[in-house]
Amino acid sequence: MLEIKNLHARIEEDGTEILNGLNLTVKPGEVAAIMGPNGSGKSTLSYILSGKEDYEVTEGSITYEGEDLLELDVSERAAAGVFLAFQYPVEIPGVPTMTFLKEAMNAQRKERGEDALSTPDFMKRVKAAAADLHIDFNMLKRPVNVGFSGGEKKRAEILQMALLEPKLCVLDETDSGLDIDALKIVADGVNSLRSPDRAMIVITHYQRLLDYIVPDTVHVLSKGQIVRSGDKALALELEEKGYADIIAAAA
Amino acid sequence: MNAHTTKLLTEAETSLIEVAKALPQSQERVAAQEALAANGLPTRRVEAFHYTDLRALLKGEYALAERPSEEDALAIGNRFPRLVSDAAVLHFRSGHYFDRGEVLPDGVTVRAELPKAAKVSTAAASTVALNNALVRDGLTVQVAAGAKVDRTVGIAHAHSAGENTVGATRCAIEVGAGAECSLVDRSVGPDRVSYLSSQIVSLDIAVGSTVNYTLSNEEGDAAKRLARLAVTLGKDATLNLFILNVGGVLVRQEIDFDVTGEGATLNISGVNLVGGDAHVDVTSRITHHVPSTNATETFRNVATGRGQGVFQGQINVRQAAQLTDARMACNSLLLSDECGFSAKPELEIFADDVQCAHGATVTDLEESYLFYLRARGISEPRARQMLIKAFVAEVVEEMEHTDLIEPLEARIEAWMDRHV
Repeated sequence: MLEIKNLHARIEEDGTEILNGLNLTVKPGEVAAIMGPNGSGKSTLSYILSGKEDYEVTEGSITYEGEDLLELDVSERAAAGVFLAFQYPVEIPGVPTMTFLKEAMNAQRKERGEDALSTPDFMKRVKAAAADLHIDFNMLKRPVNVGFSGGEKKRAEILQMALLEPKLCVLDETDSGLDIDALKIVADGVNSLRSPDRAMIVITHYQRLLDYIVPDTVHVLSKGQIVRSGDKALALELEEKGYADIIAAAA
Repeated sequence: MNAHTTKLLTEAETSLIEVAKALPQSQERVAAQEALAANGLPTRRVEAFHYTDLRALLKGEYALAERPSEEDALAIGNRFPRLVSDAAVLHFRSGHYFDRGEVLPDGVTVRAELPKAAKVSTAAASTVALNNALVRDGLTVQVAAGAKVDRTVGIAHAHSAGENTVGATRCAIEVGAGAECSLVDRSVGPDRVSYLSSQIVSLDIAVGSTVNYTLSNEEGDAAKRLARLAVTLGKDATLNLFILNVGGVLVRQEIDFDVTGEGATLNISGVNLVGGDAHVDVTSRITHHVPSTNATETFRNVATGRGQGVFQGQINVRQAAQLTDARMACNSLLLSDECGFSAKPELEIFADDVQCAHGATVTDLEESYLFYLRARGISEPRARQMLIKAFVAEVVEEMEHTDLIEPLEARIEAWMDRHV
């Protein structure tokens, strides 16, 4: 599904190198956890996958479903099925959540050559998905993320993910700012979206999220490279020994 | 005219004076021609036109727009469906009044006669002078005291004459004590035709009345529009004024308010959309003459292309006008490198116990919002439109005359489809 080869990338504005020859392969149905210390390049990887223009890829390739992902712009990637659950979802005053959801769903459907959703069909889908995630429907009458708590914002991200039915989900520190109850709701939401033809990249600092979203593979990112890969046991080892030991051993 | 005046007039100035000379003469028309011949159109040296060099911007050799045939008058109207379906609409075509025998709501009477002209005192009064020189037709609309008018009354200006034609109208609206009514003043015209429209409206609102007034400038994209709305607001009266500027390549819209009755409330809001090569100037003056009156003024502006916008907002608080509460805000979005917006707030306060505030902001669209919308599959142009709409919707959706929210939002979206 996704193959990243020798990816080098830097911040466009000041040229700071962030990714340094990153290799990663994710298969359909796989849940891959990316762990690593602060500043290792985790969020940069998520932004580069979603196409944010602040980063410049200087070397290497990203192949998504056999296509060159780097050729697509932000909205084309989304329509092609790449979804980024933001670490910090922005509040957008003046844009009603329902309008936003409908625009997004129909934009992607249009890109795929499908008909726009009728309003009743759209409402039915949103109501069902909101109920699954314990989201009060009244919350969705507000502008996008405006006045949402940290936990509500993360749930709203998963709601969007459920409605947009992406093929590759990138969850950027979805656990940050969540209490245990909210973490469980979000994890249940993510787990219910696991399927044999949908891959997920779960970026996190902590093992805790992986108790709820059990990964198939775990990769340790350090200084812009994957320095070690393993199965879920690797996450437990990291928790026990800390990043420093594992990274030192890998180097 | 002073014998020593030897001002070299532009083609536009000369032709406009010629148009005026060919019309039936009156004292005011003669005075206006003399003022135009002596001063010409204002340049940047005239303070009130500092951001709008009318002399340089108003080009062309103008001729009077002839009265269109009934068929043509109907045809142009049909191209622009009504904003409010059940409104009683009074029709001007290229500056000529057409009485369609519209059934007026109870309490409203209309006389097809030219209201009295405003005085031309200085070169800053060019908008008035030009109208005095060129006006042919006008209306006086009266709303009876105590009338609760149940249907919208509309004044529709549509220009149907050709290139470089000029039409001018003058209307007076008198709202009697304790009345309530909603008025729409709308101007439309064909695109790519460089016509000139001069419009003056005086609106007198008597004691205790509430008026919703909406000015929708949807002129053609090559139109020049010089317009003025002069309002007198009586005791405990309320005016909710909304202005949409979405048309015209050169627009000067003056709004002038004399708040003369205690307890009066003035709510002004508006949206100025300035794209392509358009120059749109809204010049506002509010004079608080008496104690305990309130005014709020909020404009949201969007400029793109090579569009240039201007907002001049003057608030005068006379010495007697203690306890005035006046607030003005002008927020602009600049979407291109070549567009601009000039905002000039002016406060002149002679009373000592008042609250006056003004603020102006200029921003581009927030990149992080754009990225978020695009990351969900929404194309960049559409994402930009959504954010622009959000920016202006805040004032549109607060309109008192709620029937207009949807049709005006449709005009805004049509503008965005062309320019964003």
